[in-house]
Formats: sequence, structure tokens, C-alpha cells
Amino acid sequence: MKFSVSKEKLLEGLQTVQNVVSTRTTLPILSNVLVQAVDGQLRFTTSDLDVGIRAAVEAGIEKPGATTLPARRLLSIVRELPASEITVEVDSKNVASIRSGPSFFKILGLPEEEFPPLPKFENAKTFTLRQKDLRDALKKTSYAISTDETRYVLNGILFSFRDNKLTLVATDGRRLALVDIELEFPRSHEGDVIIPTKTVVELQRLLTDDGDLKLSLGENQVAFEVNGTLLVSKLIEGNYPNYRQVIPGETKERVTLERVLFHDAVHRVALLASEKSNSVKLVFTKNNLEIAANTPDVGEAHESLAIPYKGKDFSIAFNPEFLMAPLKNLSVDEVYLDLIDEMSPGVIKIQGPFLYVIMPMRIS
Amino acid sequence: MEDNFAMIWKHIADAIRPEVSGDTFQRWFKAIKLLQADEAQITLRVPNNIYQLWIETNYLGLLQSAVLKVLGSPRKIAFTIADTAEKEDESEEMLLPLKSAPRSGSTAAGKADGATAENGAGSAPAAANGMNVRNTFDSFVVGANNQFAHAAALAVAQNPAKTYNPLFVYGGVGLGKTHLMHAIGQHVAGHKKGAKVMYLSSEKFTNEFIDAIQNSKLVPFRNRYRKADVLLIDDIQFLAGKERSQEEFFHTFNTLFDGHKQIILSSDRPPSEIQNLEGRLVSRFEWGLTAELQPPDIETRVAILRKKAQLLHVKLDNSIFEFLAARIKTNVRRLEGALMRVASFASLSGRELTPDAVEHLLKDILQEEARRAVTIEQIQRKVAEHYDVRLADMTSKRRPANIAFPRQVAMYLARELTKTSLSEIGDAFGGRDHGTVLHAHRLVRGKMIEDEKVRQVVTFLDNQLNR
Repeated sequence: MKFSVSKEKLLEGLQTVQNVVSTRTTLPILSNVLVQAVDGQLRFTTSDLDVGIRAAVEAGIEKPGATTLPARRLLSIVRELPASEITVEVDSKNVASIRSGPSFFKILGLPEEEFPPLPKFENAKTFTLRQKDLRDALKKTSYAISTDETRYVLNGILFSFRDNKLTLVATDGRRLALVDIELEFPRSHEGDVIIPTKTVVELQRLLTDDGDLKLSLGENQVAFEVNGTLLVSKLIEGNYPNYRQVIPGETKERVTLERVLFHDAVHRVALLASEKSNSVKLVFTKNNLEIAANTPDVGEAHESLAIPYKGKDFSIAFNPEFLMAPLKNLSVDEVYLDLIDEMSPGVIKIQGPFLYVIMPMRIS
Repeated sequence: MEDNFAMIWKHIADAIRPEVSGDTFQRWFKAIKLLQADEAQITLRVPNNIYQLWIETNYLGLLQSAVLKVLGSPRKIAFTIADTAEKEDESEEMLLPLKSAPRSGSTAAGKADGATAENGAGSAPAAANGMNVRNTFDSFVVGANNQFAHAAALAVAQNPAKTYNPLFVYGGVGLGKTHLMHAIGQHVAGHKKGAKVMYLSSEKFTNEFIDAIQNSKLVPFRNRYRKADVLLIDDIQFLAGKERSQEEFFHTFNTLFDGHKQIILSSDRPPSEIQNLEGRLVSRFEWGLTAELQPPDIETRVAILRKKAQLLHVKLDNSIFEFLAARIKTNVRRLEGALMRVASFASLSGRELTPDAVEHLLKDILQEEARRAVTIEQIQRKVAEHYDVRLADMTSKRRPANIAFPRQVAMYLARELTKTSLSEIGDAFGGRDHGTVLHAHRLVRGKMIEDEKVRQVVTFLDNQLNR
């Protein structure tokens, strides 16, 4: 195998796939990247057996072939190479010679046959989505994914395909984020799958604002094809909790808030939220919202926002991190905070298919 | 039983209701059913996994305080999910095995209570561990003498490895060390499913260790003990002087302790007084909680007798109980033996029992007990014998060190073991005044603290006299 490629292209291809490279050392082959030279293209594939990714870049192929090379080492070498043109030649013993200007590197690889193939998707249900829609939806939900490994079904985002809608849900038991995407698909394609966090993170890296992506659902597997890159992942097995139970039916008060102002105020006040209780108090009075926090023996903070509010006076406490997370990840100017009373969950909504349920903290 | 659970849940729910909004209550607590409740745990059935998730993350504290309010003490809260079967009757059926589980558990316990000689039947799993099923916390009579040890044991049984680790129980013969250990072991085995409870005497430990060396099977030996969740070792003082066993036990101890497993030990004396026990073991034994069992006072003795009589289904006159309690003071086991003898005599002869008859019946036991009243003369004789001085030297005016010190030891023991006054002791030692006795007492006590040898000798003499 022999090819020459620009440093820029080679870096692009390797960087796309390098995050997936396994950190587990049980299978040495998994710390390698599969490099295939075919049809004027260089293909890079990495896998940790749960998630696999394949990217392709243009290259001048002199002699087609395939090998696997240590991924992290290869990337750090390419990053440092002095010239913009790189020539790579791999012999039959999987020894790669890398030339770039005056530099010469020789690294030892492993045969391509040892690399586990990415799963095939036959008879899969396929969906076509706009990249922007999915990217947006992931941004609005992924921060609410649970990191508690004992609740593994929550360590991912629910993709629920129903009634010509794709609903994304993430929750950790204290808050829940939900986004709907309008999507046309046949009734036979309906179903629920849970996409693991690692895949969500990789997918977010791949998605851009333009173009479509193809999503394929197989048995316990999902594949995303984005801009020529293929991301394949196992699904989390199990039943996602019935999230609809969490969403309050009727709310009493709706408060309209300027997203950035509200976020920044909470952010400032939270500096004096005690580590122990970690809460900020929202006190609603006529046309005024006071945000307050205090730590015994340290101090306290207050900030007032003028808001249109005509309901009865009341106060409610939230975890400031949970309050700020959606505000940070939304892009609209105004958000609505729907409340019932100080003991019931609050709901953040926007003009559009987004919903965030947040549990209040007890005010002692 | 089921109605009972429904009632309990109603009370718990009533305690929760004012703490949450109406909507929250309707949404999360209305559909809950209490499936099972015992001293350690309550099990709630919820319609699906979102209930468990949401309640566990948001309302667990609330639920726990409601449980505490209603049941008086905290419980572990477990959830079972009624699965996806929507049909009410179907889910009802699914519950049956769940409901029968605790029931079979309680019958086993009931059988165990009534079990007499048929131990090997397998119905009483704890008996297989070498623990007597009759030795439970319920059958343990608590008095001022053992209240602390009992409370510590109960705390350990309810929360193994969380409270006092290791627990070291010591006390004289027949005061209930083994009873407490069995009670802990069986409580844990009965309440914690799958918990590995191992009970054995230190002698058995040593023997198995020797066996293991002999057959080069040390690895299985180690694995067996180091995988225990609760390890109870009785009469640990017998490890004294067995160096290899001590070392092996030291490592077992460390493995278990580091793995947060409960260790419970018993001995007839405090760790520091076990002779020929390595310092590192002594310090480890003293690491957790050391609880002493003392001889019961007369009220407790009467209570023990009554309880025992009840268990044996014998009816005896109160005067008999009081007679036995008053005459047998130091040993619960002997007390129970005496009761047993009296009861069987009564049922065999059918005669009315009078204190005189009982006195005759228990002649040997009572004599044994009577011997416990130590006299100054006995002390003098014993001490003289031990130090190889003449008995006359105890009362003589001569004061070379080799005579003066034994005399002082004898005075110390006389002060400690008899109820005679200082001046009476002084008189008994050849007309010395009370100051001399006081000085001797202080001196010996001081030396006992400073000098290990002196302490050993004095404790030895003390034990000899008390036997």
C-alpha cells in the first residue's frame, strides 16, 4: 500500500475518528486505526466494540491496500510533520514508512484482518433528518443525561419515533429535557431506542448546520451517516422510564424571562449558594423576581429582575446548575417558566417544541 | 396480613400527604402498594420504573421520614415494579410468589423457636452454621449488667460493619457471650439475603488451620473465611500462644476489616489481658467496641429464670425463683441448670416444692456457689502458697521484701474480694492499722499498672480464689 496525502486531509481524517479509540487495553488492535486506501480515498476506521466510526478523505493512491496503525501515535506524528505533503508506504509486514520533507518515521502496525469489522445494516429502518435539527435537539437535551452508572438506561438519550415525530428525552431523575422533531416516516418505523452518551458526544462533533444525515436502525444497533462519515453504535438495552408521567399537567403561573439576563443573574447569585444545599431561591412578588442564595458563615447574594408578574407572592428553590443548563443551551431570547407551587416541579418552555422539567428543592 | 400492610401504607401515605402538593401525591404516591414490611425493610410496588426513579431521587428522604414516623424506626426502602402487564388481575397474580416469600420465612422462624432436638432437619438454616436457633435477641434477658453489650450487639446486627467493627464481647463463664453472638449471626442471616455469616470457635479456627497446613489446602481455607460478610469467633482467648494461627487470623482480620465486613469476637477477658496474644492483634481487637458482660443482679436473675421457665413451659412458685436467684449469683448457665433440675424434679415427683426441698436437690450446686464467699484466711493461704512463704509470715511483724510484698498483695486481694473493713483486714494481718492496708492496696494497684508480671500474678490469684 502506498499513498500520498496533504497533511491537512490526513489530520482531518484521523481527528474525526480518534475519539472512539478504545482506552481499554484488553484488545491491542482496538488502539489502532484501520487505514484503507481505495479509489482515490483514504478510509479511517476506529472502534471500541460499542461504538465504531469511519471517515474518508481524498488522497493520491499509488498502490491500494489496508493496514492498521497505532492511532494516537500516528496522530501525534502527523501533527508534528514539517511539510504539507506526506507520503506513506506500508510493506507486507505492516511496517509503515512515513516521509514528509526531511522527516522519516517508521512505525509497526498490525494486519487489517484482525480489526473487528463494523456491523452491517441490512433490513434496517432508515430515516433522513436535517443535520441542523438533530444538532439543535441534542444540544438542548444532552446536558440532562444521567451519569449515574447504576441507572444505565438513563446513560443516554431516548430517541422515540412516534406519530411522525422524533422525540429526544434525557433525564437524571431531578430534571428532564425533551425536544420534538417533525419527521415523516412510515408507521412500521415507529419505536423507541436509547443512544448511549459516548455516541451522542461523537454525533455532536460530526453534525454541521447544513445538509441531511441518514439514520439507520437495526437490531440493537444504530448508524448515522453524516457528511461521508459513518458512526455506528450499540443501543442501550432496557426500557426507558415513562417520561410523560413526570411532566406536570396544568401549571398555575407563567413567567416570561429574558434568557440571558435570567441566566447571568442566577449565575452571579449562585456564587454564594452553599455547597451543602446548593440551591438558589426565586422569590416572586408583583412585577419582581428576586433571586437569592446564602451560605451560613460565608455570606449571601440577592439580585432583582423586573418581570411582568401578577400572580400571588411565592418562592421556590432550585439547584442553580439545573436551572442554568437549559438556559445556556437554548438560543431563543425569551423563555417561559411555568410553576404550580413551591413543592411542585417547574417547567421551562420556549416558543417551539422544547420542554424542561426541573424538581424544586425543599426550602427549610 | 395484606390488610395489615394496606393499613401501614395508609398511615405512611397520610404522613407524606401534607408534605407534598396534591398533584405530586396523586401522581407518585397514589398508585403505590406496600407489599411487605419487616424490621429491616419495606417493599413498595410501583407501576413502572419511572416511579422508582423519581421517588428515589426526589422523595426518598420524605418517604423515609414518613416511615420513621409511622413505624418508629428507619427501614430500607425497596421497590418492585409491577411490570408491563397492564391487566390488574394479571399483576395481582405476579405478586403471589412475592407475598409468599416472607411468609415462608416467618414459618421457618416459628419452627425454629419450637425446635427442640431436631436440629438437622434443614428447616432452621442458622443451626447449620453451628448457632443455636434458640439464642436470639428475643430470648436474651437484658439487665443493667449486660445492657451495653446487648445494645452494641443489636446495633451491629442491624447494621453490620457500619457501626462497631470489630465488636469485642467479654465476660465470665455463662454470662451470655455465645448467646449474643448467635443472636447477631442469626439476625444478620435472617434479614440480609445472601449474607455469608460464619460462626466458629477459635479452637475450630486453629484446628482447620492445622488441617489446611497438613493437607496444603491453605488457599481454600483462606478463601472460606475471607469471603465472609460477618465473621463471629467465639472464645478468642484460645488463640493465645498459637503463633501461626494468630498470624493467619491477623491477615483474615485485616482482609475482612478492609473489605468492610463485620467481625465479632468473644473472650472471657478483655483483649489486653489475654496473655500470649500478639500486640498487633490486641490493638486491633480494641479498635472497635469492647463491651463487657457482668454477672446479673438479682432482679435480672429472677427475670432470666421466669423467661426460661416460660420457654420450658414449667410453672414454679415465685419463692422458688427468688430462692434460686438469691443463691446462684455468678453464672447464668448454672442458674438455668438449677432451674432445669428443679423443674424436672417437680414434674417427675409431682411433689410440692419447698425451699428446703430445693436446697436439698441443689446441694452440690449451692455448695459450689457458697465457696465463692472468699475469706481473708483463704486469701492469705493462697498467696503464701503462691509466693512460697509461711502462712505465719502473713501476720508476723517481719518485713523483708520477699515477705512484705506477698503480704501487701494479700491485703490488696482482701480489700478487693471481701467486704471487710480496712481495720478488720489490718487485724487479720497481725494487728496492722488501716493506713497500712490502704498503703498496701495503693502500692499493689500502682505496681499492677506499671508491671505486667505483677498484674498477671494478681489476676491469676484473683481467678484462683474466685473459682
